[in-house]
Amino acid sequence: MKLDHSQPLEYSTGQNNLNIFGFWIFLGAEIMLFATLFTTYFTLEHRTGNGPTGAEIFEITPVLIETILLLTSSFVIGLGIHAMRLGKIKAMISFFSITLLLGLGFLGFEIFEFVHYVHIGAGLQTSAFTASLLTTLGTHGAHVTFGLFWGLAIILQVKKRGLTPETANKSFIFSLYWHFLDVVWIFIFSFIYLKGMM
Amino acid sequence: MKELFPAKQVMGFVFSLILTAVALAVYFLDMSFAIGLTVLVVTAFIQALLQLVVFMHAGETKDKWSIYGNVYFMIFIALITIFGTLFLFNWDM
Repeated sequence: MKLDHSQPLEYSTGQNNLNIFGFWIFLGAEIMLFATLFTTYFTLEHRTGNGPTGAEIFEITPVLIETILLLTSSFVIGLGIHAMRLGKIKAMISFFSITLLLGLGFLGFEIFEFVHYVHIGAGLQTSAFTASLLTTLGTHGAHVTFGLFWGLAIILQVKKRGLTPETANKSFIFSLYWHFLDVVWIFIFSFIYLKGMM
Repeated sequence: MKELFPAKQVMGFVFSLILTAVALAVYFLDMSFAIGLTVLVVTAFIQALLQLVVFMHAGETKDKWSIYGNVYFMIFIALITIFGTLFLFNWDM
């Protein structure tokens, strides 16, 4: 294995470089996945049938809390990667743990929101609008849920094996995934919630 | 302790909070749909770009143009899909 010391640990081998680039290709496909969901949502958002409209069911407070939680978690995992590059493994694990806790908080609010929607009669089968809304939000929420398990596995592995080119590479790739989820949320926040409440 | 909080990332976070606050103006202030949507488009895309460059370290390595090329191409295809569909189904063109 050839180590390139001019690069951070996560980029230090050819394999690591390819892993990171491969993950960017995957994120490109993820952009497209969410684009198809947004396409469906924008096409169907006014087809509310006998169900409620977006303006009737969206509430600013929980949405704003979810946004702040996810934005902060994205910032904190960025600090985690910075700590990793400094070789400060304890700080890195702390930042990653805070990230996952914020993610868990986000998920809690989102589950609460879904229960609320179903409770007020805006379930998956109510109208084309609620179906496309809940599918889009649910796909993002499922990604966050998956990320929580992935992140936990990363933390355990870094604890067990320390910072090696492999674990640093995996941690960096996980951070890319987490930032990407925040980017998707920015678009959900702007073009589903705020646009719907305008 | 201070070295754990690099200025670039802290500034990026503050800026993303400001962008969120600006986007919130469309809810709290009374503005037309067209102006509101313009504000949202501007804040959302600046925010996404901020994440890409500051937090995802997109421009750091030798393969930066492969990374940017891939991302911009997918955004392009995504916009074609979204607006192409809206043209056909919602705007009757």
